[in-house]
Amino acid sequence: MSGVFLIGAGMTPFQRAALADLTGLAREAALLALRDAGLPAAQVGAGYFANVLGPQLTGETTAGQFVMAALGVRRVPVVNVENACTSGSTALWLAVHGVQSGEFDVALVVGAEKMSVPGLGLLHGGSKEIETQLGLVMPASFALRARRYMYEFGTTAEQLALVSVKNRRHATHNPLAQYREPVTLAQVLGSPMIADPITRLQCCPTADGAAAVVLASSKVARLRRRAVRIDASIQCSGSYENPVDLARWETDRRGCLLAYERAGIGPDDLDVVECHDAFSIAEIMHTEALGLCEPGGGGLLVEGGATTLGGRIPVNVSGGLLSRGHPLGATGCAQVVEIVQQLRGEAGARQVLGARVGLAQCMGGDQAADAKSCTVVVLSV
Amino acid sequence: MRASAGRADLPAFAPGIFGVSGNDGLPVLLGSRCAPCDRAYFPRSSLCPNCLGETVEQELGSRGRIYSYTVVRTKPPLGLPAPYAVGYIDLDSCGLRVFSLLDAARPECLQIGVPVRLAVSPLGHDGRGNPCLRPYFTPVDAVAAT
Repeated sequence: MSGVFLIGAGMTPFQRAALADLTGLAREAALLALRDAGLPAAQVGAGYFANVLGPQLTGETTAGQFVMAALGVRRVPVVNVENACTSGSTALWLAVHGVQSGEFDVALVVGAEKMSVPGLGLLHGGSKEIETQLGLVMPASFALRARRYMYEFGTTAEQLALVSVKNRRHATHNPLAQYREPVTLAQVLGSPMIADPITRLQCCPTADGAAAVVLASSKVARLRRRAVRIDASIQCSGSYENPVDLARWETDRRGCLLAYERAGIGPDDLDVVECHDAFSIAEIMHTEALGLCEPGGGGLLVEGGATTLGGRIPVNVSGGLLSRGHPLGATGCAQVVEIVQQLRGEAGARQVLGARVGLAQCMGGDQAADAKSCTVVVLSV
Repeated sequence: MRASAGRADLPAFAPGIFGVSGNDGLPVLLGSRCAPCDRAYFPRSSLCPNCLGETVEQELGSRGRIYSYTVVRTKPPLGLPAPYAVGYIDLDSCGLRVFSLLDAARPECLQIGVPVRLAVSPLGHDGRGNPCLRPYFTPVDAVAAT
């Protein structure tokens, strides 16, 4: 995918921000990204805004136009995107293909969520879904994967918990993460059981926040030293086959393979990965889908330290969703912001030395034991 | 086809999910089938996503085996008991893997591979807060013991 570059990136702290509102968070992140790009808003040819819960929680619909207009992005196409946890990365996917088509040279992508409100409760796959009405909440969905996965591959509860230990350790170096204190294995295993075998410290917390990126054609990005190339951006949906294999995530694997194919690389070419660790088991399964280890080997991979900062292929050096929190609409953009910082060598104490190729994987939604959306972005310098 | 016997003056949590078997009067899951594609669906899908032809309702039986399970210990949604159990069941009759509530009364009986059968009881409330019937699977041995 030569020809599309990322020239600006920024994000707010992810935290429970009682006084913040959705559009305020979005503007803050967008402004950081535009300033990072050094572009006036008048040069933005299209705006993409990702958010999930605004219409439900505060009645805010088509909030994207409100955000863009306040930043001076007017008259141009503005699109609002909702695709569950992949809303931000789906907005990015749309923007990449818009720039690639030549329809415009610069696109602003903003993902934002304000979700720390009283009584939100646990997220689910949609209130009308039969599964939701039979008690399927997100932690249960991943607990069912974990149970089956452990049964088939002998993965231990300790190996699952080590994902949280690793990512919280990484987050000690990320000032924008919500939880920056390290946790021990005993603390993770001893935290309250949510849906066995998943304990509370293996579930990503709620957060408010926003993240934004500026994309540009090669014509605009040409003289920019800090531009990062987008080698692949894919989005796919679930196959919803029945019976589904809960221990091997076909949609995840399919998305990752497609991204590798488009980028012309393989797992050995990666230097740094951000993946959707909404729950500990999720990271283990995503590392397998990415081919960072053999099927069933995700527990041993994290236990052996390969995915730790300084290891063979560091995963979620930002601290991941488990440490940052998961403002739904923002997460897909925040993962990309992290990869951009890594590839620019601007990640400070959590820098993966010499990182030149990075990947951000995200999944969202829950239907028929499958994800409704999977996105993968490959970036390089 | 009416929902469940006995305590069945309560409405089902949703229409068309379970009924009473014409064979033995016990609860059964209801789904649909596309004959030309030889595919079964749960919950019922009026259109076959494979050929876009119309499906017909089909009983999916009441027996299966646990494929995976978990006991949920967060504040339960929809007035479900705390804790409550859920899982995926491989149905004997059609090979479908379906999500269901499980009997949480004897969590030690919940194991992968355990044979289960369908039961229907008042469980929680519907979206408007009214009590309703929900189906759940319970280990076969536990049924025999009661």
